[in-house]
Amino acid sequence: MEIRMIQSASDVLVFEGSSPMLLLGKVSLMAEPFAEASPLGWLTNSVAVAAFIALLILWAARKATRNAQRVPSGFQNFFELVVEFIYSQVEQIVGKKLAPRVFPLLATIFIYVAIANWFGLLPGIGTIGFGSEPTQAALTLSADDHHIVPLLRPPTADLNLTLGMAAVFMLVWVYLTVRETGVIGFLKHTFGPKGGIKGLLGIAIVPVFLFVGVIEMISIALRPVSLSLRLFGNVFAGENLMHVMSNLADAYNLPAFVTFLASVLAPLPTFFLELLVGGLQAMVFALLCGVYIQLSTAHDEGESH
Amino acid sequence: MDSLTILIGKMPTILASAAPEGSDVSIFEKFGVNWPKFLAQVLLFLIVYMVLSKFAFKPIMAILEDRKQRIAESEENLKRIAAELEEADIKKGEIISEANARAERLVSEARESAEAVAEKKRNEATNEAAQIIAKAREAGELEKNQTMAELKRDFGRLVIDTTGKVTGKVLDDEDQEKINSEISAQISV
Repeated sequence: MEIRMIQSASDVLVFEGSSPMLLLGKVSLMAEPFAEASPLGWLTNSVAVAAFIALLILWAARKATRNAQRVPSGFQNFFELVVEFIYSQVEQIVGKKLAPRVFPLLATIFIYVAIANWFGLLPGIGTIGFGSEPTQAALTLSADDHHIVPLLRPPTADLNLTLGMAAVFMLVWVYLTVRETGVIGFLKHTFGPKGGIKGLLGIAIVPVFLFVGVIEMISIALRPVSLSLRLFGNVFAGENLMHVMSNLADAYNLPAFVTFLASVLAPLPTFFLELLVGGLQAMVFALLCGVYIQLSTAHDEGESH
Repeated sequence: MDSLTILIGKMPTILASAAPEGSDVSIFEKFGVNWPKFLAQVLLFLIVYMVLSKFAFKPIMAILEDRKQRIAESEENLKRIAAELEEADIKKGEIISEANARAERLVSEARESAEAVAEKKRNEATNEAAQIIAKAREAGELEKNQTMAELKRDFGRLVIDTTGKVTGKVLDDEDQEKINSEISAQISV
């Protein structure tokens, strides 16, 4: 048995004897720059796709709102449907008071993440690229026997993007929380005793709530990490799964046409699964952001309900 | 099953090779996270966020709000119209019942008036008929009298002529007067 050297956590191939036994995936953990040593080192295959998606969203938004009519039709109708759906969800979570302020961020997150996730399912994204070896440094298709640098990478499979979005969200979260409850209000909300317990029992229970507050602070500090890693992990795993399914037949010495058919048919169920996961993860990211905002402003909103 | 067992057995080796190889390789480096790439992604997201907020969500929300208000206004109008309709229905009922009452009154007045006119006309007709009958009677009487007078005169002349021829006597005026008065008395009887 031989274990090939692993280039990344996802680049694992286990051999039994001379035949490959299990292929876990070949997608790089990181987005790869087009020219690493140049001042454009930040321009990775993921940033390029993110920029394209940003332009696509802005173009679509402009198309929907350019001649916005009171009686909608065509694309405006669809855009309004999406906006209304997201707004109703946001309103249910954060309440009527905060919804208008929170909605733009959560809607942007949802739309941006969903499109980025689904964009990664387009043929060629992550599979067309340059060989990493000098001899393979030509535009090529992905193959299981060599690693390629994909020309395009789903942006949500780049931790920079998911972490960046989570960071932006946390800044907005801090702003909204301080604005709604104030610093003292937030500290009281986090560390203060709850449940209206008074008297000696109330005093005795204060250390417990202080301890709970510390745990809550740790949980808040870890939110951007959990948010970003969850999304990154799901999309990255999906990319790996798609690659594995596409190259499933490569591991066996089958006729070329069977290998070709398998590379087309095997990823199909995964493709639909990834469509679902893409939308679901966008929803999860946006809804969790909404829930975090609601939790930190709950008492304020709760009083007004 | 064997493959899975081998894989599980080799898992520590796999994980060890997937983990940072040296202490100088951080988890961020392993995932390709660095400031320029991070800031590029943040900047892109912020641009989308701000542009969408200002130029997409704001106008669409304004339209949705406007539509919501218009729908609320329409509903209010609908309620008002329904109330007005109900009121109009009540008024209509009142007007119809009032009209019915007036019509009944008019009909009864007309009936009374017609009856009065008919009575009047009937009386007039009766009077007229009585007058016609009286006139006819008078005319009949007059005609009868005339006829009687003519009859008396003719009969008297006939009797005088006959008496004169039978008796061969020329009747003087006194005889003729006497015969005429006897005949008149007998005819009257």
